[in-house]
Amino acid sequence: MEYLVVFLVLVVFLQTRITNLRRAVICLASQSVIISIACFGLGLSSGSGLHALLPGILTLAVKVIFIPGAVWNLVGKLTNEREILSESNVNYSTMAAALFLVMGYAIVERLLPGSAGRDIIAASILMIMTGLSLMVLRKRAIIQIVGLITLENGIYLLGLLMTEGLPLVVELGVFLDVLIAVVVLVILTSRMRLSFMTTDTSVMKKLKG
Amino acid sequence: MNVLLGSLLVYLVGALTIIWPKKLELTAHYAGMLCAVAASGMTAFSGIAYLIMPKSALLIDASWGSYSLIADGWSGVFVSITGIAGFFISIYALDYAKGYLGKRIRALTGLWNLFLLSITAVLLAGDAFTFIVAWEIMALVSFLLVNHEAGNKDTVAAAYQYMVMTHLGTAAILIAFYLLGSHSASFSFADMMHNNLDGIMRHIAFLCAFAGFALKSGLMPLHIWLPNAHPAAPSHVSALMSGVMLKVALYGFGRFVFQFIGMDVFWYGLLVMLVGLVSAFLAVLYGTMEVDMKRILAYSSVENMGIIFAAFGCGMVLMSMNLAPLAVVAFTAAMVHAFSHSLMKGLMFMSAGAVMHAVGSKNIEKMGGLIKKMPYTAFFTLIGAMALSSMPFTSGLIGEWLVLQSFITLAQQAGTPELRLLVIFAFIMLGLTGAAALGCFVRLYGIAFLGRPRSHIVENAHEQPFFMLLGMGIAAFLVVAAGVVPDPVVNVMQSVVAGPLSTPMGGAFGIIWGGSGHYAVYSPVLILALAILLGIFIAAIFIGTTRGFVRRDVTWNCGTYPTSRQQYTATGFSKPLRRAFGTILNPQRHTEYLRKDHDYYGRKMKFYLEIPDLFTEKLYKPVQTWMIASSSAFRHIQEGSVSLYIGYTMLAMIFVLIWGVL
Repeated sequence: MEYLVVFLVLVVFLQTRITNLRRAVICLASQSVIISIACFGLGLSSGSGLHALLPGILTLAVKVIFIPGAVWNLVGKLTNEREILSESNVNYSTMAAALFLVMGYAIVERLLPGSAGRDIIAASILMIMTGLSLMVLRKRAIIQIVGLITLENGIYLLGLLMTEGLPLVVELGVFLDVLIAVVVLVILTSRMRLSFMTTDTSVMKKLKG
Repeated sequence: MNVLLGSLLVYLVGALTIIWPKKLELTAHYAGMLCAVAASGMTAFSGIAYLIMPKSALLIDASWGSYSLIADGWSGVFVSITGIAGFFISIYALDYAKGYLGKRIRALTGLWNLFLLSITAVLLAGDAFTFIVAWEIMALVSFLLVNHEAGNKDTVAAAYQYMVMTHLGTAAILIAFYLLGSHSASFSFADMMHNNLDGIMRHIAFLCAFAGFALKSGLMPLHIWLPNAHPAAPSHVSALMSGVMLKVALYGFGRFVFQFIGMDVFWYGLLVMLVGLVSAFLAVLYGTMEVDMKRILAYSSVENMGIIFAAFGCGMVLMSMNLAPLAVVAFTAAMVHAFSHSLMKGLMFMSAGAVMHAVGSKNIEKMGGLIKKMPYTAFFTLIGAMALSSMPFTSGLIGEWLVLQSFITLAQQAGTPELRLLVIFAFIMLGLTGAAALGCFVRLYGIAFLGRPRSHIVENAHEQPFFMLLGMGIAAFLVVAAGVVPDPVVNVMQSVVAGPLSTPMGGAFGIIWGGSGHYAVYSPVLILALAILLGIFIAAIFIGTTRGFVRRDVTWNCGTYPTSRQQYTATGFSKPLRRAFGTILNPQRHTEYLRKDHDYYGRKMKFYLEIPDLFTEKLYKPVQTWMIASSSAFRHIQEGSVSLYIGYTMLAMIFVLIWGVL
């Protein structure tokens, strides 16, 4: 598990520095792969049968294949694939992520001293905060979707560790939620591309009355 | 079955007028108004019967679930006031509201019943919840009634201003109820009497209650809705609002002070007294400047509520000095004046409605000589105007006399020089108020009814239909009856405050008050006898000297015939006061040249005078400016950018996490 956490932190840090949209989607998919491996690991260690495998399978299907696939398709239709960002903005994102990591460990030390999944909790806090900061700091709708999924992954990982297996209905509900949110977001983004010829959300300010 | 509950039921039946078929509008109106007349009569009957009989039981004690109706003597007084005023105003409205035929008259009549119902329900409420529900229904219904002539832009503006202000008041009252109720066993009045609220929160509860009820009764500086709402409403509605609804606020404040908060803190009474005195004086000053008949009456309502609250505050001060037997006179004064004000202000608004009905204008500058066209209305208005300027033989003087007695009592008991100075200030204010009120109503009556017609609208004026005259007549009769034989009213009010065992102030002789060291006596019967004797004496002298030779001629006017333009105008009449109190009134003259072709002839100019309201200029406008400025500052936080909002969420989350760790 410790290796997984190392990879996860690496991927999240990488995400804060990526400006190319396709690379961002690949990064998101690999992040979700790590999460699904973690799901399989945790599920098999605590139980057996379909219920143990289901979270991993669902993560694989929804977050690794479907969502990145849909976003990938969307990116294919865009002409301008790079997000124009100043170097300092990227550096701030990375620095913020580093701070979030420190904060995550500090919180775990203070709130749950000596817990087994200390690294995983810290990593999930890192993911939640980084996802939020991606949504706040970046302008491109695609990157914001990536931020949302990162946030969602973080929450899911934390929930998985804390509860050691949610009821089946709740898990299905969570996945349906994310699925629908992403479908709506993808549709909206492609509409936005048609209307504004760009996916830069700052042009949306024009719509204000 | 209980008569009072029956009257509530009849009001409800009357409220059904709203859903009558449109073809039967006039029938609906008559049926609804007759319901209101009957129900008000029943209310008045049960209230008065309860007050006259020895008070062992409660007037009413019923409950349905969490709603309860409980009424004691204090409610009984106001139930009687509501019943009596509702009775004669409803009779008046039988004919008056016919003018609204085709203008949603069914809604007007139905809401009228609902208004009376809600007022009665406020007075009978036995717990905070029922009180607030009834209070809000009253506010809402009165808003709809004020807004009845919704085609008029000013009316809508006035109605919405009233709505906003009255909700501010309700908010303050809710806070007071919440503070008291959370420190008692339950929200029923019986439990709230034993609340254990203490310290600063008690002060806050008192201030909130005072602000809320002062707003409803139109005390300055919370009065600004009142001079706008009263002229906008139909006249019988303004009569009921001014005559009764303002008293309901006094009822609520009295309940808070007597039962929930107590009077042991000295500055409570002081605050109430000072606010009352200042309101009384400033309101009558502003009223004298107005030319709109109903605005004059509206300001006069503020003045009278000010006097009532000043007397009430005087009583509270006396109570805080542990002089309960002496405080009786102040509370009696407040109640007697409340009763007589409901009669005379009801009468005056009714006659304002009659004049409006006759000439089609509210502007007294356009009237004049109405006494010849409508003699009965003029006679009743004279009685009302005399009562409002507290002339003898009217109920107005009884209240004012008792108010003055209560202040004299306070002066006798004032131990410290500061308090003595304050009482001197109070006397000055009351004196100025009385004099200015006299001037105000001499002006109103003289300009509108005496002299020559100032415009052609007077020519078409006509006497009013029977029921309008009957309504005004009943009110005028009650004003005079209570003024000549004051002892029943005074004794009943006194027994409510002091209990049935105290020595009554009123006797066959008049009213006697011995609390201020010496005996003070006011005996209208004696004065009346004296006046009649004097009249006979003077008449005898005149009959002796003039030998039946009378020559009628036009007034000598340096050789020309006097025209109506040579009369005093209403604005001119109040000029001396405007000069004397110029620093407070700050009159603004505006001159506009409409046409100026040549230097010496053919010029047309428009001249108008504006009296800005002191509190609107100095209090409401700065608050408004500040609020708009601060909202535009908040706009920077609320930019409309989604990223920014998510950023706020993120910051809040980080903050919470760090706070949780620390």
